[in-house]
Amino acid sequence: MSWQRRALLRKSVNAAVVVAICIVALFPILWGLSTSLKPANAILEYPPQLIPAAPTLEHYRQLLTTGIHKYILNSAIVSIVTVFLCVMLAALAGYALARFSFRGKSLVLFVIVAVMSIPLPSLMVPTFTFLALLGLNNTLTGLVLLYTAYQLPLAVWVLYGYFQTIPSEFENAAMIDGYSRLQALRRVVLPLSRPGLIAAGLFTLTFAWNDFVVAVVMNSSDDARTLPVAIYNYLGFFGREWGPLTAAAMVSIVPVIVVFVVFQKYFLSGMTGGGVKG
Amino acid sequence: MHIDPRSSWYPYRLVLPVLAIELVFVGVPLVIGVYYSLHKADYFQLSGFVGLANYVTVIQSPIVRESLAATAIFSVFSLAVTFGVGLALALYLERDTRLHVFARAVVLVPYTIAMLVGSMLLKWIFSRDAGFLTMALGPFGLPDASILADPNGAMAALVYNAVWRDSAFAMILLMAGLKGIDPQMYAAARVDGASAWYRFRRITLPLLRVPILITLIRLLIHFVNVLTFALILTGGGPNNATQTMGLAMYRMGFVDFRLGPANALAFLVLLFNLVLIAILLRLFRQRRGAAA
Repeated sequence: MSWQRRALLRKSVNAAVVVAICIVALFPILWGLSTSLKPANAILEYPPQLIPAAPTLEHYRQLLTTGIHKYILNSAIVSIVTVFLCVMLAALAGYALARFSFRGKSLVLFVIVAVMSIPLPSLMVPTFTFLALLGLNNTLTGLVLLYTAYQLPLAVWVLYGYFQTIPSEFENAAMIDGYSRLQALRRVVLPLSRPGLIAAGLFTLTFAWNDFVVAVVMNSSDDARTLPVAIYNYLGFFGREWGPLTAAAMVSIVPVIVVFVVFQKYFLSGMTGGGVKG
Repeated sequence: MHIDPRSSWYPYRLVLPVLAIELVFVGVPLVIGVYYSLHKADYFQLSGFVGLANYVTVIQSPIVRESLAATAIFSVFSLAVTFGVGLALALYLERDTRLHVFARAVVLVPYTIAMLVGSMLLKWIFSRDAGFLTMALGPFGLPDASILADPNGAMAALVYNAVWRDSAFAMILLMAGLKGIDPQMYAAARVDGASAWYRFRRITLPLLRVPILITLIRLLIHFVNVLTFALILTGGGPNNATQTMGLAMYRMGFVDFRLGPANALAFLVLLFNLVLIAILLRLFRQRRGAAA
């Protein structure tokens, strides 16, 4: 075999493997999308249509009659408030850790990494007990506070790592010009830390938007229901009507995928626990 | 308000909000949980100190024992396959060609979407109504029934769900380790005529030891505790075959509202997690030591 042919073969094997990987990863999602666009009578057709012959939005319209817009709004409010709270507090703490050496600093770092590693399901029973005692169950405020507590460690960790890569000469110069330390942080360090802030914010955003376990435990009232819990209830309500069920799944997924495609590179830093590249 | 940055209290003020939130919303619940676990609790009414009775109840409960077995099977298989697939993906997709960068992003999609939604979409595929599995498996003469109705099939589906979602997580952690290996090591080995397998065994694996252990432990912590997969995909069934511990605890607390035993179980699980977390923290320190 000539080397050109071998290179060509290698290239096509490579492409075939990548295509296979993509199919395995995406098929359930695309199949759900296809189902959500089929008229009810075509969904159970055998053999199934891979691409809907007569696409329709009827299932999405049906979801509106169940008030899904209310749950979307709840999820959006909780996610956005959590992101702002989390990034703001994490910036302060991350900055202190990156710029000062103080007694107990390694203890703070230890607490942060330890809380980051505690799996949420194991915290839910006592946390529900506590939140109910406070009367914060069935409120969006309660969710915001819990989400902030759960995502702060990661946000601090990411920003702590990022601030360390920014030379302190910039702030020092600003402070000589009369800025206070907090002004220097806000006007000089934070604008230079955009990638770190985006990474911390994105992780918090997708966590709050996607969370089901915390929300289903804490909130059972309709007023404080977020989208994932609403979808869980649809599973009981619609039973085997997969049209509205897959449509609801798409409503949850589409914003995440859009955000992911736009900001892809920032995600990775959060997963490995630090080290954002600008 | 004027704060003197030179005062030694300054950094404490900056970290205080974070520590306060962690203390109130993670620390205090743990203490309250332990307190509840030592009392007889009907809903939120505490009636009397019962010592370790709730712990005895939990340990003797057949439901908890069954769930431990299910958790062990689920965790071992999920860990082995997820790690294997994650390592294969990391090695295969490590090169930064456009095709591979694209494939990496695609593999991450199941990880970024809500766990609940992912499990629901798989449930639809595995259900008999979809007709998809029937069509795919029909030629092999497999029975026309939902695999979720069979105990082993349901467990396999649960493991598939874990692998489908979390391989990307393993891939990213391992790939970060791979990128840390100096390419000159491979170049030198190649000059010496080392085969690909030899390079993998003698360079990649030893230098990837800490990232591998970190990945294994982080996956294990996740699999031992996760409840969404089982709750959505199999509902713990059939006949409790896939009721993992996370799900058993959830039901004890929030379906049966037995908050005494549920808090006792939660505390036992937390202790187990803390052992794993302690190992993880040691590994993090080793990694940092190695980097310095």
